[in-house]
Amino acid sequence: MVIETDILNFWDWLAVGSDERAPALLQFVVTIVVLALVGLLFGFLIAAVRHGPIAAGDLVYRVLRRAAGELFRISPRRVWALARLSVKESLRKSVLASLIVFGVLLVFAPWFLGSESREPVKLYLSFVMTASMYLTLLIALLLSTFSLPADIKSKTIYTVVTKPVGAHEIVLGRILGFTIIGTVLLAIMGAGGYVFVIRSLRHTHTIAVADLAEAKASGVQRGLSSRDMGHRHEATVDKDGHVDVQSAIGHWHDVAGEPENGAYVTSSPADMYRARVPIYGKLRFKDRNGADKDRGVSVGNEWGYRSYIDGGTSATAIWTFDSLREEEYPDGLPLELSLRVFRTYKGDIERGILGSLVVVNPTTGLRSDIRTFRAQDFHIDEQTIPRKLPRRRQDMKPGLSEELDLFDDLVDEEGRVEIWIQCVEPAQYFGAAQADCYIRTRDGLFWVNYWKGLSGTWAQMVLIVCFGVMFSTFLSGPVALFATAGCFILGTFRDFIIKVATGGIEGGGPVEAMIRTFTQQNMTSELEAGGANALIETLDSPLKALMHGLVYVLPDFSSYSQVNWVAYGYNIPWNLIAQNLMAGFAYLLGAFIAGYLFLRSGEVAK
Amino acid sequence: MASDVVIETRALSKTYRDFWGRAKVRALKSLDLEIRQGEIFGLLGPNGSGKTTTMKLLLGLLFPTSGQALVFGRDASDVRKNERIGYLPEETYLYKFLTAEETLDFYGRLFDIPPQTRKERIDQLISEVGLDWARRRQLKEYSKGMTRRIGIAQARINDPDLILLDELNSGLDPIGVREMKDMILALKEAGKTVVMCSHLLADVQDICDRIAILHQGELKELGRVESLLRVADETQFRVRGMSQACQDEVQAVIARHEHELVEMTNPVSTLEDLFLSIVRDSEARPGRRARVETAEQSESVN
Ligand SMILES: Nc1ncnc2c1ncn2[C@@H]1O[C@H](COP(=O)(O)OP(=O)(O)OP(=O)(O)O)[C@@H](O)[C@H]1O
Ligand SMILES: [Mg+2]
Repeated sequence: MVIETDILNFWDWLAVGSDERAPALLQFVVTIVVLALVGLLFGFLIAAVRHGPIAAGDLVYRVLRRAAGELFRISPRRVWALARLSVKESLRKSVLASLIVFGVLLVFAPWFLGSESREPVKLYLSFVMTASMYLTLLIALLLSTFSLPADIKSKTIYTVVTKPVGAHEIVLGRILGFTIIGTVLLAIMGAGGYVFVIRSLRHTHTIAVADLAEAKASGVQRGLSSRDMGHRHEATVDKDGHVDVQSAIGHWHDVAGEPENGAYVTSSPADMYRARVPIYGKLRFKDRNGADKDRGVSVGNEWGYRSYIDGGTSATAIWTFDSLREEEYPDGLPLELSLRVFRTYKGDIERGILGSLVVVNPTTGLRSDIRTFRAQDFHIDEQTIPRKLPRRRQDMKPGLSEELDLFDDLVDEEGRVEIWIQCVEPAQYFGAAQADCYIRTRDGLFWVNYWKGLSGTWAQMVLIVCFGVMFSTFLSGPVALFATAGCFILGTFRDFIIKVATGGIEGGGPVEAMIRTFTQQNMTSELEAGGANALIETLDSPLKALMHGLVYVLPDFSSYSQVNWVAYGYNIPWNLIAQNLMAGFAYLLGAFIAGYLFLRSGEVAK
Repeated sequence: MASDVVIETRALSKTYRDFWGRAKVRALKSLDLEIRQGEIFGLLGPNGSGKTTTMKLLLGLLFPTSGQALVFGRDASDVRKNERIGYLPEETYLYKFLTAEETLDFYGRLFDIPPQTRKERIDQLISEVGLDWARRRQLKEYSKGMTRRIGIAQARINDPDLILLDELNSGLDPIGVREMKDMILALKEAGKTVVMCSHLLADVQDICDRIAILHQGELKELGRVESLLRVADETQFRVRGMSQACQDEVQAVIARHEHELVEMTNPVSTLEDLFLSIVRDSEARPGRRARVETAEQSESVN
């Protein structure tokens, strides 16, 4: 439910690409070229309006010729001086006040977050991470877009550009300076948020001895813990006085020692913060008649990536896992399911929809008996497949079954095994995606994962700074702010926009229809132009490429947000972080070049 | 020798336009100049005559509408020429949130000056412009003249070969003006080139080797100060302790030769001299109050 698209490994992502997206490297080159072209075009247009096209052409030519030499002359000392200046400027604007805002948010957060949530970890983590994200991005936006215009307005820029400072160094210094400020802010908010979550959710329960009831004949006592933070745990006390607290809402507690004042006191929550490391299988489907197919039934409320299987029929979602070795899973397969549930009638919401799970050997076709589970939307169901599984053969008497060994009988020679999942209740559906069923291996470190998650926010912040500074080289502060914010919003929906533009969305929404009509008109008018056809086409095609390029070059901001990964407790692969940082770097380069061209092709003193 | 030429403009023109490219002001019309190494060159002219425009064109802050400006043989829009240039803008545009030290350090870094040299130059310049006592204060607390002084220090941070000073003396007290004169002369000694514009003609006259006078963007006069200002058909005496008899006699002689006597008076010392002597005096004897001569006071004393 967190991972909506496939994550390619780094090199495939960078250089090979997949069916759905071009290799990142290509995209970066296009990005940088388009940004540079926009820079030049803009410089040309402004100059053409003011001095006529010939002078403008001359200007662009000179800027280009000079760019080749200048862009590579970067003095670290100069850039650092400019970066320090930006840092001092930011501090003077008292950006640290944003920390106070964050602090106040944290102080009041418990009021509106409440403590009764069924998934407090998810709630608190997403709150803290989202709050620090928006605050950091807002500060980055304000700082980066207003700084350069203010310098130009107050003419302090005169004393800077009359030093041997390249326009590119001015751009780079600013980006660096604001990145430093943003990083420090984010780090402080991140650390504060972390402490806040851990401290807010720390709790203990008491288990009153008087409330424990003897279970029949076993000598084991059962009971419920006290209600703290809106939940209780079931607890058992065996004959030796050993207390076992059951897991509830994603955590459990230890109890050490004897009861005090007639009650056991539990430890702080354990296993509350997770960074699951899932191993994914390959997903295929069988339709309602049991025939093989690629996808389930689309119910139209999800992207094509997730398909639905209908309940009460032979429709099945089959995950195939491979390279399983007995040594790694001596106690069985720790499977986790997070199926989406689509109800055509409401039923009992609390209970979840009944599903069945069968373990199948892909080579011999040997099947275990059906195991049932109840699936709830947005809920992770832990289903450990034990080593010994029962199987009832047709010829066996009722009540008897033989025992299969997971690794000896169900995992084949190559280490493959299939998990078949069906929805049992008729007229209800399960939504299944590749990432919805996985084997959970040893967890990663939660705090590492938390910071990994913030690294996505960090990359977003750097991108905002890059775009903000780039726009501020030729726009006034408020306009640059709107442009940058616009890029952020468009970039957040980038994939969607590209899909609409290229007709990649099935069924087609109103937007696509509009775009289609629009392009159709363009095509016909081109044909009607007759003789001038060729000329128009040659003029038009680079423009069209540019238009498409503009959307194409926007960073996919949504892919940088890893708040959900952390909040839902999934380990973020380093691979993904490397991809984000790499993409961030590409945009940095693009903004750097475009910013240079913008600054260089206009007069500083206007 | 061509390498001597520091600044060269060829038919340099600038027309300010509005956003839509409509011509608004023809600020500079076909200026031809050649300024050589070691010269102190004065740009004069009434307000709005194009002095600042010329400087901005030389620095590449503006692009010429036509013509060309070369500095050290490079086009004005080449950043590399800035290595050897110091510039003091018309008004001192500095970062108000920096202290004097930080300001100079910042600009020093922009010249890529290594730390040790930078520190030495900062100390030296701050004491030269007389701001030792305020070096750790933010510029927003500075008075206009103090800001001007730090602006001058800023323009000299890289020990420039060419220094462009726009309205150098604006905001400076007479001592400052004096010090700046001395500074400029010292720069000339060191073989630097100075281009300045000013309205204080007396100062320009004292120190400039050559001047150009602009009016409405056009070059009206260009030449060496002595030759421009020498009044060839008048003669001036200064005699100490001349008696009335002697004066009468001289007048008689002039009359006999049928020359016209234009003026014969006792010279008045300038206010500048008076100001300087008072300040020097009070620096030598701090704490002494000025003797205020009012009618009331002279009565009570008597
Ligand atoms: N940014 C501008 N836009 C339009 N016109 C301008 C601009 N800057 C200067 N001008 C005009 O150009 C002419 C020359 O201005 P400039 O600043 O060069 O004068 P100046 O000789 O430096 O005057 P001052 O002695 O007052 O400093 C003036 O008529 C002025 O109005
Ligand atoms: Mg001026």
